[in-house]
Amino acid sequence: MELVHLVMAETTFWTILLMIHGLLSMALIGALTHQAASVLRAPKAGGVGLAARFSGVKGEVYASAVAGLWVVTFLFGAWIYVKYRTYIRIPIEQEEFWKTLGAFELKEQLASIGLGLLPLYWLVWRRSSDKALQPARKWLTLTLALFGWIAFLVGHVVNNVRGFGS
Amino acid sequence: MSVQRSAKPDRALAFARVFALAAPVIYVICELMNWPVFTYHPGTGRLDWGWAAAVKDEGPAMYWFGWNLSMLIGGAVVAGLASLAPGLARRLPLAFSWIFALACVPLYLYALRFYWTH
Repeated sequence: MELVHLVMAETTFWTILLMIHGLLSMALIGALTHQAASVLRAPKAGGVGLAARFSGVKGEVYASAVAGLWVVTFLFGAWIYVKYRTYIRIPIEQEEFWKTLGAFELKEQLASIGLGLLPLYWLVWRRSSDKALQPARKWLTLTLALFGWIAFLVGHVVNNVRGFGS
Repeated sequence: MSVQRSAKPDRALAFARVFALAAPVIYVICELMNWPVFTYHPGTGRLDWGWAAAVKDEGPAMYWFGWNLSMLIGGAVVAGLASLAPGLARRLPLAFSWIFALACVPLYLYALRFYWTH
């Protein structure tokens, strides 16, 4: 870590990590939103509109990417969480932005609960030919998409309230 | 092919089915009861087993990592045991996993009410 700080300022380092975390989460919700659209809207033959193309994807193609991105995004989030707790959260507490803090608490709980769902989510998509697992594919995908969007938006708001280096 | 597959005990699905419910339940219990496997003190980098209070002048204590480890270990143990009896695990409806996960949103909105009303 000290070697990194010889090359760049500490706040620059944490900001880069936060940006990587943000970019990974964008990729994650992009994949999850496509997949969620695919389970909500049955593809119609010959559909060429934007909505048809957006939802007309093969959901199973995204499953491994979503599971992998959730884990990697989670790990980056856990890494920067250490800095958040000391350098970001304490000033937000002093400013009494309680709703921002509460929203972040919600985000961290949902990210963890989503992590617990991943093995089943991944497995039911791996068996996409099994029609009995279709409700599980649909609802697990929608649940993870909801959690992913909440986490993404809350993280964005928290960064606006006080980002690294501010 | 499908006959062979259904006749074989599906241990992977049994594990995933039980883990998807057990892990979030264990996480919520550990979080609400404040039972982390360990406590991390980011100011000093120290780790304590179980729950430990923040030390004066050494910054805050972090429990989230410990709750997650509680969830992963607890969930893996319960799901591992369930995978030994896949027939029994199959009786657990898959829907419980996403119903419980979705129920956590209003649950936490309520549990975190201090932040919304402060």
